[in-house]
Amino acid sequence: MMNPELATREVFWNIPHSLVWVMYLMFVASMAVAAYGIYRRVQIWRRGLSAKRFDRPLERLKLLLKHSAAQQRTVREKYAAIFHTFIYTGFIVLALATTVVAIEYDLGLPVMQGRFYLYFQSFIVDVFGVLVLIGVGIALYRRAIVKPRKLVYTDEATLILTAIFLMALTGFLVEGWRIGATDEVWGKWSPFGYLLAQASAAMLSRNAMRAAHFGAWWTHAVLVFGFIAWSPFTKMAHVVFAPLNIYTASLRPTGAALKNLDIEKAMESGAPLGVKSLAQFTWKDLADFDACTECGRCTGVCPAHTVGKELSPRDIILDLQKFMHANPRAAFGLPNGNSSNGNSANGGDQAASRKPQAASEALPIIGALAATSPAALWQCTTCGACMEACPVFIEQMPKIVDMRRFLVMEEADFPDTMADAVTSMETRGHPFKGTQSTRVDWTEGLQVQTMAEAKDAEVLFWVGCGGALIERNQKTVRATAQLLHKAGVKFAILGREEKCTGDPARRIGNEFLFEMLAKENTEKLNHYGVKKIITSCPHCFNTFRNEYPQYGGEYEVFHHSEYLAKLVDEGRLAPLEKNDKKITFHDPCYLGRHNGVFDAPRQLVQIAARNAPIEMAQSRENGFCCGGGGGMSFIDEPKDQRVNQERARQILATGADIVAVGCPFCTTMLEDGINARKGDRDVRVMDVAELLWQAVQDSTTNGANKN
Amino acid sequence: MPVNIIVCVKQILDPEIPSRDFRVDAEQREAVRGAANLVTNIFCENALETALQLKEKSGGKITVISYGADSTEDALRKALAMKADAAIHILNDGQAHPDPLSVAQVLAAAIRKLGEFDVVMLGRESGDWGVGQTAGLLAEELGVAAVAFVDKVEIGADGLQLKRQTDVGYERVAATMPLVISITNDEHNVPRIPKTRDVMMSFRQPLTKWTLEDLGVNAAEVRAGNHYYAVVDLFIPVQELNCEFVDGDTLEARVEKFAQRIIEVTGSM
Repeated sequence: MMNPELATREVFWNIPHSLVWVMYLMFVASMAVAAYGIYRRVQIWRRGLSAKRFDRPLERLKLLLKHSAAQQRTVREKYAAIFHTFIYTGFIVLALATTVVAIEYDLGLPVMQGRFYLYFQSFIVDVFGVLVLIGVGIALYRRAIVKPRKLVYTDEATLILTAIFLMALTGFLVEGWRIGATDEVWGKWSPFGYLLAQASAAMLSRNAMRAAHFGAWWTHAVLVFGFIAWSPFTKMAHVVFAPLNIYTASLRPTGAALKNLDIEKAMESGAPLGVKSLAQFTWKDLADFDACTECGRCTGVCPAHTVGKELSPRDIILDLQKFMHANPRAAFGLPNGNSSNGNSANGGDQAASRKPQAASEALPIIGALAATSPAALWQCTTCGACMEACPVFIEQMPKIVDMRRFLVMEEADFPDTMADAVTSMETRGHPFKGTQSTRVDWTEGLQVQTMAEAKDAEVLFWVGCGGALIERNQKTVRATAQLLHKAGVKFAILGREEKCTGDPARRIGNEFLFEMLAKENTEKLNHYGVKKIITSCPHCFNTFRNEYPQYGGEYEVFHHSEYLAKLVDEGRLAPLEKNDKKITFHDPCYLGRHNGVFDAPRQLVQIAARNAPIEMAQSRENGFCCGGGGGMSFIDEPKDQRVNQERARQILATGADIVAVGCPFCTTMLEDGINARKGDRDVRVMDVAELLWQAVQDSTTNGANKN
Repeated sequence: MPVNIIVCVKQILDPEIPSRDFRVDAEQREAVRGAANLVTNIFCENALETALQLKEKSGGKITVISYGADSTEDALRKALAMKADAAIHILNDGQAHPDPLSVAQVLAAAIRKLGEFDVVMLGRESGDWGVGQTAGLLAEELGVAAVAFVDKVEIGADGLQLKRQTDVGYERVAATMPLVISITNDEHNVPRIPKTRDVMMSFRQPLTKWTLEDLGVNAAEVRAGNHYYAVVDLFIPVQELNCEFVDGDTLEARVEKFAQRIIEVTGSM
């Protein structure tokens, strides 16, 4: 047996010295082309507006480790978990192996030696090469046989997989024929290469293998360098842009994803309000387009898309990406350079005479592309499922709201039924035109004080329009108030002084109206010296928590489920009687996914019932919207495309008797959805506060009876 | 053919407030404002929308006039945001609820002060008092013809082609200008939502303010009002719900009796 300490192999075996420079030339050329490909994209991003995305480097590094290195989101999906991990880790190992060769040969440092050569450079590299082949095989199988609807089927995608397959295959041929032709003593350390060598030896002479090796080596080199050069012009660019996009992702909860808009400044400068063209996007938005890997997960989880609507977040990103590269200057209102521009509808002459940075003259995007039609933009519930699903942290939803802002504020173009809600928010401070309830009707018979009356309120109970003005939800806020009373919490309400927080206005795109309401509300809250807020509306909760601080409204905010759970923990509420019904819990998007509150409402279900809630297939971060967010409560959905009915179907499928909720919009949307499917089975919709109140009440009455 | 249009609008208490919240002051014979907002009367907005559509087709100018308290400026700003060209606020400095004739007199004086006009459009009635006399009285004051309950206005050969609603259907009217028309609502004149940019711009636009004295009317007489019109009583009708079962031996007998009761009950109303 030979001494393993001496194991190594000759670099450039079988490649004449006189030809080695050709490989280096190819290397430099491919790197130059790749660098240009990246530079070209980055140059376009620089045409976007500023965005602060390089602060807090430690947190960003952590994000990078979790989602770029460990790919925690990528592996959430069954197929991708396997094939992407195989290809991704294979690429890393093979790139390391190449680096080892470079250190050995170009730097002249003997590293590719001995046991390291055997364990890593031979065995591990060989295994990971096989993993790449298997990974590509699975990916090709998925594209050719499984054909999930969310994927984009392009020649580019097929070509990329084919190229990777061929690169790995030629790599093995090079290895195998080298082992075969040289009778390499360490050959068995490369098991698959060795197998290939054995198989070839049965058919080919040593010289033939040597000749074949020469051919395979150059083919491999051409493929690899060609692939490197080509990658930045394809979705393979994600190898570079995905980590960058993750590093520069928003560090705030997705509930805080909407951008601030300086309306006054836009008025002065004449810039459009909202996004009319790519020129109003930030560089990060533009980088998002380039980071897309076309995995389609966003569209796959989009509730609007699921029920058959037009909206497809994936296509918004991809259409805008294509548009950006087809019109790299005109899309930003820049005069065209030398490059001819077939897409410029305004003609070259006119475009050339434009002043640079004349943003308003940039090519408009809304309605100009299939994916950005106003109809599609008006289907988004802003549930944020797309953002949560994206492995590379693209922010799809805020871009939709950006475009809505333009439609609403510059064009006054929005669905008719939404107009009533907006007008009502403007004149009445709530979106429910025609409601026959007042903000204090629900307090009838309860001793609920207003902030103006109460002298010693520790906490403000912000009721919300959905709680106070929709009769069904009055039961919920009543139950909450009664629970607070019972626990001895000193609270007060604003009563008639309360106004919509502006959440629907903001998500519809009326930033102006949102700002007015935000200023008015924060002024009022600060006037009363409010420090703590409990609210039973996750939309209000999100606005207080993520959006009011910039208007000088800094409060400690609790969703009623959090506060009630705390009261139970502290022993201030003692539910005894338990509900033995089967209960499932529907996560409100603005409580769960957007703000990470998943456990408190579940805890209440658990407390009020005998069992933990039955989990739906889509719950917690992956919860499926009720259809009521983003102003969609105020839209008439087509009968056969209703998000709430799809969620109702999922709820019925659990076999639960009760679906617990924590949001007034979810309550009404789901009740409607379940009613529409009444034929199937009856399921009650109950807020967690109602469940808890029932349990608390029962304990008292039963206790009384026993006495 | 450019048309010089004047639209008269009125600001009223939001009619959409929950009925439970609605109170009247029987003494003053006035609705109590309470927490309600002030809004532009919907028929006035229909009139403005009709005017805007007419101007979009024919060109011209829209001047919006309102006689009201300080708060009326909001209604006029909104009209400017909807893209009226000019707005005139005639300050009502203390006439609690002016009678339609004095309103018509004030508006007529303002319109005369403005000079030429082709057509004046008003809502068919206001959502608060619902008297519906102002358009007719204004035409009388201005000495021009009036057409009421119009839901469509188009440019005709030598004037306007109007479509007006009647009790039995509609009439088409060819009218020569100048004239006064009252506008009723229709699916075609749902008021537009102004663009946010225009809302913001509306606060920077000039707004003409006139007092009664500026109009050259006898301010004291206007403030005193006209005696033909008086609110005698103001109250919220009490809703009564009576449930009654009809009986009878056969279905026919019950139906017969049911019909009989309907005749009796409706006859007594």
